[in-house]
Amino acid sequence: MRRRVRREGELITRINVTPIIDVALVLVTILLVTAPMMSIADLPVNLPKARTREAEDERNVSITRSVAGELAVDRERVTREQLGVALRAALAKPGNDRVLVVVRADSGVPYGEIRDLLGEARRAGARRIAVATRQREEAPK
Amino acid sequence: MSARARKPGTGIISEINMTPLIDVSLVLVVILLVATPLAFQSSLLLSTAAASRREAATAAAPDRVEITVLSEESVRVGSAVVPRPELARALGPAIEHSASRLVVVRCADGVTHGTFVGVLDEAHALGASRIAVVGR
Repeated sequence: MRRRVRREGELITRINVTPIIDVALVLVTILLVTAPMMSIADLPVNLPKARTREAEDERNVSITRSVAGELAVDRERVTREQLGVALRAALAKPGNDRVLVVVRADSGVPYGEIRDLLGEARRAGARRIAVATRQREEAPK
Repeated sequence: MSARARKPGTGIISEINMTPLIDVSLVLVVILLVATPLAFQSSLLLSTAAASRREAATAAAPDRVEITVLSEESVRVGSAVVPRPELARALGPAIEHSASRLVVVRCADGVTHGTFVGVLDEAHALGASRIAVVGR
């Protein structure tokens, strides 16, 4: 591109593209950061807190169970009857044979229902199962 | 970097303008700081029930640590029932003496998921290498 020498007093007639590149890069980053959240169902879930952590930032199939009893497999809301079929469909996708199945349940849900979800995941063919937690920051007593 | 960025008389700015780059970088840092704890949940791995049975069967009975969460307030470690706040005191030595460090957890149906995960977390923090959850 030919560079024009600007003389004293001459107006700048070109569009300044720096701000638009600035904004575009920020948008790209926001999308990158929020992408993992997009694969989780939009159900109100207060995850139990835990100090220790094992599996994280790993591609997974999530089963979400809200305190009100709503269920979802990844982003798709399902009924209790549809759960097994939806899980099998998710696990049948290419590359998902050893995928981690994460049970995201509200801390107020009775364990009996968690046990049913774990059993359903196992029957659907899940080989690796985890329960989702939120990181607790305070030091152990 | 040259201190004389603008050549006198020509109007050419020969210095790279760092301001937009620093601007973008700072915004990225702030976004990452804010969004990381929200976006990335952590999790505790469980052995599946089938694997649990195999592990429980292969590990000799004295070699595994069995916990039963009886209620929100009490937990059985082996044959001793202990209050939930004193779980670490009973569970710590039991895991220390276990060669396999396999912890088998049972839980009553009415206990909340938060309490169940709290017990798993405590077992993990005390050195359990694997945690197997058994159905009933």
